[in-house]
Amino acid sequence: MTNTSAGTAVRLADVEKSFAVQGGGETVALQGINLDIGAGEFVSLIGPSGCGKSTLLRIVADLIRPTSGTVEVNGKSPHRARLDRDYGMVFQAPVLFDWRTVEANVRLPLEVMNVARSEREQRVREMLELVELGGFLRHYPHQLSGGMQQRVAIARALCFQPAILLMDEPFGALDEMTRERLNAEVLRIWARLGTTVIFVTHSIPEAVFLSTRVVVMSARPGRITTVVDVDLPQPRTEQTRETDRYYELVTVVREALRGRLPAGAQDGPAALDGHPAKQRARAEGGIG
Amino acid sequence: MASSARAVPARPSMGLAARAVRLVIDYLPAMAVLVGALVLWEVLTAGPGRRVLPAPSAIVAGFDANADLLTRSAMNTYWEAIGGLAIGTVAGLAVAFATARWVSAREALLPIAIAANSIPIIAIAPILNNWFGVLNPLSKMMMAAMLVFFPVMINVTRGLVSVHPASLELMRSYATSDWTVLTKVRIPNMLPFFFTALKVGTTLSFIGAIVGEYFGGTSAVLGRVILTSMSSGRFDVAWAGILLGAFGAIAAYIAVVLIERVVIPWHSALRNQ
Repeated sequence: MTNTSAGTAVRLADVEKSFAVQGGGETVALQGINLDIGAGEFVSLIGPSGCGKSTLLRIVADLIRPTSGTVEVNGKSPHRARLDRDYGMVFQAPVLFDWRTVEANVRLPLEVMNVARSEREQRVREMLELVELGGFLRHYPHQLSGGMQQRVAIARALCFQPAILLMDEPFGALDEMTRERLNAEVLRIWARLGTTVIFVTHSIPEAVFLSTRVVVMSARPGRITTVVDVDLPQPRTEQTRETDRYYELVTVVREALRGRLPAGAQDGPAALDGHPAKQRARAEGGIG
Repeated sequence: MASSARAVPARPSMGLAARAVRLVIDYLPAMAVLVGALVLWEVLTAGPGRRVLPAPSAIVAGFDANADLLTRSAMNTYWEAIGGLAIGTVAGLAVAFATARWVSAREALLPIAIAANSIPIIAIAPILNNWFGVLNPLSKMMMAAMLVFFPVMINVTRGLVSVHPASLELMRSYATSDWTVLTKVRIPNMLPFFFTALKVGTTLSFIGAIVGEYFGGTSAVLGRVILTSMSSGRFDVAWAGILLGAFGAIAAYIAVVLIERVVIPWHSALRNQ
């Protein structure tokens, strides 16, 4: 884990979100969310659809407001953090603009943030090199594959050097091979830039491979059921995916998703910071 | 690059000669059909006597004999149509921007616009002639403008409003102003819609101008020339007038297509995929 001592990037305390339902009543999308994410951490939010993981990400991004509770992003209100451009966001769809070349798409945030013209070009190039698309500056999005488009979106989210990277199922629409390749790429970028990453996914292998911690959520109401510490050594490579420890952790997360809480953790998420989950996984000896 | 299966390498720019050859090959079938049709037309309608549909050669001769009146008329009608296209487009854009920006404007203007669109336009032509002066080209321009207005307004509104929600979230994450969203997202998104409307509008503007002329105007406009030639049995001159009208509409359409290619090159590339 890098830079965990550098402070808290995101703090969520007693966060609740409910939506009004048409015809009266309301749905509780999130309930009793308590989570601290350290600077430099890579945290995945995983859970079934409807568990509110994307909602939670959007609350951090100040795209929606929580009904109650406290949210701090970089020690500020999410609103302030958004105005300060503290985070970059990557959506499930690449959301590239058809009328802009790859280069111009990555440059967009720099334009709207009034970054000096001379600096823009250099940063755009740097970022596109980082995602290994240095040779595609003048291409239009429709000339790229889905995976390449998503890499452009990542370059765009990082080009203004935000402290936090929010990713909302960024590889959900890609095939498994491309997804694994992009996973490795995201890890490489994370290791190099030290950006805090919050990553929403519904893929267990992806969450385990990428994260320093996996936050497991359940639906109706959306809650955090378990937080699994992922102690796989860094840097992680394709070999990591074949280690026993990796399989164990995948199993722990899978069990947690099925609602089987690790031993001694039934009283709630507060008690579960990692270790009981691991002990249980060892006791069960791998894939369950 | 492993994941670049669909990526197209930068295409080396084609030479001028190669482009010309490709253009000819692309349009060869259409040209062949056109020439074939003209030959067939000529053969079927050859011979003496007046016909409602004279032979192409007779139409050309009719044009030659009245070249001065026909070209003057064509110029006047083109001016009316293009003027009407401009007025209708500007009005359509103005209303579209207002309706896209303010819900209250949408509620106030959309029903009226839809009602106005369902007026059979021919019914209003005599009134426009009366209103703006039967000899004033503005009366025909207004006729054309009324036809052009609606498709422009509807398309541009749709282009401004139908932005992917995630695009708006993205811009929101950058903490940008509404103005920036308008200039960086909504307007570029709207342009293809706008050009589609403009292409429809070129045809409509010529229809509007000529229909307006049928209800009265100076003698040197295509609509009048077509009517008077027909009533005096000069079908060759009438057809020359009709073809001049078609020529103007096609030229205007092609002009819009060329402007579109320059303004939104990315879009034609996308469409040609």
